[in-house]
Amino acid sequence: MTETNKLTPPATAGSTATPNGAAAGETLLEVKDLKMYFPITSGIIFQRKVADVKAVDGVSFRVKRGETLGLVGESGCGKSTTARAILQLYRPTAGSVQFEGKELTKMGGNELRRMRRRMQMIFQDPYASLNPRMSVGSIIGEPLLIHGIAKNKKERQERVQELLRIVGLNPYFINRYPHEFSGGQRQRIGVARALAVEPAFIACDEPVSALDVSIQAQIVNLLEELQDQFGLTYLFIAHDLSVVRHISDRVAVMYLGRIVEIADRNELYENPLHPYTKALLSAVPIPDPVVEAKRERIILTGDVPSPVKPPSGCNFHPRCPIAIPECKEIIPPLEEKTPEHFAACIRV
Amino acid sequence: MTQTAEVTSVSSLQGKTSALVRGRSPAGEAWRRLTRKKLAMASLIYISAILVLGLLAPVLPIQSFSQQDLSNTRALPSWEHPLGTDDLGRDMLSRLIWGANTAFIVATVPLVVATALGVTIGLVAAWYRGWIDTLFMRFVDYLLAFPTLLLMIFLAATLKPAVVNFVREIGPAIGQPQLWRSGLVDYLAVLLILALVGWSGLARLVRGQALSLKEREFVEAAKAIGVPDRRILFLHILPNVMPLLIVLASMSMAGAIAAESTISFLGIGIVPPYPSWGSMIASTYGYLRTPYWWLLAEPLLIVTSLLYAFAYLGDGLADALNPQTR
Repeated sequence: MTETNKLTPPATAGSTATPNGAAAGETLLEVKDLKMYFPITSGIIFQRKVADVKAVDGVSFRVKRGETLGLVGESGCGKSTTARAILQLYRPTAGSVQFEGKELTKMGGNELRRMRRRMQMIFQDPYASLNPRMSVGSIIGEPLLIHGIAKNKKERQERVQELLRIVGLNPYFINRYPHEFSGGQRQRIGVARALAVEPAFIACDEPVSALDVSIQAQIVNLLEELQDQFGLTYLFIAHDLSVVRHISDRVAVMYLGRIVEIADRNELYENPLHPYTKALLSAVPIPDPVVEAKRERIILTGDVPSPVKPPSGCNFHPRCPIAIPECKEIIPPLEEKTPEHFAACIRV
Repeated sequence: MTQTAEVTSVSSLQGKTSALVRGRSPAGEAWRRLTRKKLAMASLIYISAILVLGLLAPVLPIQSFSQQDLSNTRALPSWEHPLGTDDLGRDMLSRLIWGANTAFIVATVPLVVATALGVTIGLVAAWYRGWIDTLFMRFVDYLLAFPTLLLMIFLAATLKPAVVNFVREIGPAIGQPQLWRSGLVDYLAVLLILALVGWSGLARLVRGQALSLKEREFVEAAKAIGVPDRRILFLHILPNVMPLLIVLASMSMAGAIAAESTISFLGIGIVPPYPSWGSMIASTYGYLRTPYWWLLAEPLLIVTSLLYAFAYLGDGLADALNPQTR
């Protein structure tokens, strides 16, 4: 991983970014009141909507150029759906997604296809995210082909080999197929495919959750190195709180389709405000038996409610240890409680 | 030799410029697994031998399938007639080989048509869902709800006159006004029937497979890259449906041969003097308890052995293509 091969910096019109984040601080991505509802239909020929799964229900946040925003929450809280709705893999039900100042939700066809050069995604399952019938060369070469990045076959192959080298794989494995690689190597192939279009932003959807712990560190380090090298901006989704703390600059916590707290990484981990964040963080084991034995855990009662019929008001209130009757009525806004520390709770 | 390349580190490979490591494609792996299955390979060779023999029937030095030798009927095997002659004195070997010719046509042409139709409809239904899906799949349900044999008889009764009329009209235009009297119309009708009966089940299975593939992450990755829909369908989804298609093809070839034999046996498929195993069985099954039982046994043996071979081959293919489900 000591390769010094540099990708040419992204040279898209309207972008003044340089690889090492000279333009850091400016907002790259702004999500406003994003809603993603999946309809539940019934009927044989004429499908009629009977209910909605409110996977994402009014999410707002900003990501600055060059930073990593961690997104945590338990399974099914809408983290992955948020990422897919941002990239327009799912068309959002409502809300706005502005990327480099352009509104994505209204884009279609070729305009959106051009935007795909600027934003990419890395997936959770390295065994499902690579087409088993395509060679590594075709997998990484496809974005080059689609966007006309390489002029001819030879140039494309050279570029693919360069990308393989960048992610720490043997460039001579270009003709191999995914089943010939290990999980960690496959995830590197997925990273190379995302890098091929020279994006500014990558949504990482639990990129290490499916890997062995020893491999997790390698992939996280690779992602960090690539961020420094190419000035990438990440939305890093995970349910492993220590991984998120390691890689993120800021962290957002999601519960049942909404963001409950968002703050600087250290601030959030040391000073959690929202009762859900407190409970979540109290579940992180401490690698010190003495401290671990004394660790106080907040055990939440009950299960996560169904996103089809979320509770009224603050949707955390049925499980909240500090809930008051008003919590059933008021949907708490995400407010700045201390500077740069936002929480959605009327009790703090 | 790939083993050594695997352990060679990047640094030692830097010097070589053409040392690309050859990959093992999933298709190649499947073929390698298949070649290790003796029964499936024997079946494959047997099926190919019979079908190639049938394909070569017009150029083989065999007697005509319709030449009668009325002074030498129901003859036992001899040097002149290695498998004997039938009740009209026609050479059995020739008729069986020409029967293989019919079987070859019947097994391949409808398969191509039905596959093209079934794959297109299955993929489109799975990709676009909504009313297109509902419409196609309800129609498939409707077709599948019919007993197949009844559907084939119904199609034979309604399609054949239409085919005859059609050939009669275009016959003069292509300089063959008598074409409609030939066996060609029987063949056309049978091929049409088999294609129409064959696509529906195929479409249903392809749709199911495509639906599950559509939700896989590599399809999402292709969308995130901006790969156009059509390219995703044909380059990402279709190749992953191929294993299923190959197994289905082997099964439906057997099905087509059996179906042609059945409708020819019933007298609504290929009609004598044109050679078909089914019609040969139909014209000799009365000999079952007579000294001439071998006239029945010969075509029967070929049809059953071929169907068994297809079953073994299909089994082997299913294992070779989906090693994890073994």
